[in-house]
Amino acid sequence: MTLFYGLLVGVAMGAFIQRVGASSPAMILENLRLKDLSVIKFMATTIAVGSILAYLLAAGGAPMHFDIKPTYVIGVALGGLVFGVGFALGGYCPGTCVVGIGEGRKDAWAAIAGGVAGAFVFTLLWPVLEPALIKPFNYGKVTVPQLLGASPVVAAAVLAAVFLTIVTLLPTRPGEAPRG
Amino acid sequence: MATRTASPPASASRSAARTVGGIPPWASLGVLFGVTSALSILAFGPIGVSGTYPRAIGSVARAIAPGWAANEGYLVKMGSVVTPESLLVVGLLLGGFLARRLGHQPRPVAAEVVHAVERTPGRRYLTAFLGGFLILFGARLAGGCTSGHIISGITQLAASSFIFAAAVFGAGILTAKLIRPRA
Repeated sequence: MTLFYGLLVGVAMGAFIQRVGASSPAMILENLRLKDLSVIKFMATTIAVGSILAYLLAAGGAPMHFDIKPTYVIGVALGGLVFGVGFALGGYCPGTCVVGIGEGRKDAWAAIAGGVAGAFVFTLLWPVLEPALIKPFNYGKVTVPQLLGASPVVAAAVLAAVFLTIVTLLPTRPGEAPRG
Repeated sequence: MATRTASPPASASRSAARTVGGIPPWASLGVLFGVTSALSILAFGPIGVSGTYPRAIGSVARAIAPGWAANEGYLVKMGSVVTPESLLVVGLLLGGFLARRLGHQPRPVAAEVVHAVERTPGRRYLTAFLGGFLILFGARLAGGCTSGHIISGITQLAASSFIFAAAVFGAGILTAKLIRPRA
């Protein structure tokens, strides 16, 4: 049954990504060049709504399947830097290229092939990378409210308020004059 | 009294969805995706995509080279490809297809040119391949991608995901500003 839920979530997510234009590499580059912030605003809104809802559900006693990723500072930061360069180079992320194939983009196949090659090379390098970049400075599965000693619902509410304020105030296309 | 002539902004055609009742598509779609992401945590776990790549490699490897696969620590660690997350990736394919079809949208450009260096389709396929290589290598090193780390990670307020997101947008914005855009 959880497999079926996975499929449903994927179909919805794929449709949202296609509709907002995030499966278009040109749109991703417009966002990274800070000319059009619609995909960044979409992500911030998603996080704000998801965070407050997930932690409210948890506070209400729902059996949530949280899965916090461990904080191994060096590997996470280096991985993010490598990811950022690839993101700007190809204009795809690991999910949007799959959506791109669904809507008929041929270059998305090249991105997936590159992704499989990248994951394969990572697999081969794992015995070297794990002791060097993942084991050291690993603070485990830690959340920001845990670090601050705050309630997760309050932290989620603060995060949601900050993100929603920013997306409301920021112009979607900063280079253009604001419209009435 | 001056009447404003309402000409649609150039950006109107960029996003696939139209603005409905003054609410921009990024806002309505963001709310829907946020609800979906919270329900996903309730149903099976946070959304994520990049882990499916090594799991798929592992399943192929176990079929054609079981001895090798059994000795690759990372493939063993990532485990079976039969997970809700893998079905989620299948769903992305269907969702992208259905959203375009049901929206009666034209087929997108096969290979969208985004950088000045992509003078031929071959060059575009090459940058897409290199970009794909780096995002999966980076995501596997960090333990997640845009969906698993940035969306799900920050949704759950994970400390690591704030670090990942800062690194991704820092390097991404810098790289995008340094590479010459298409003319």
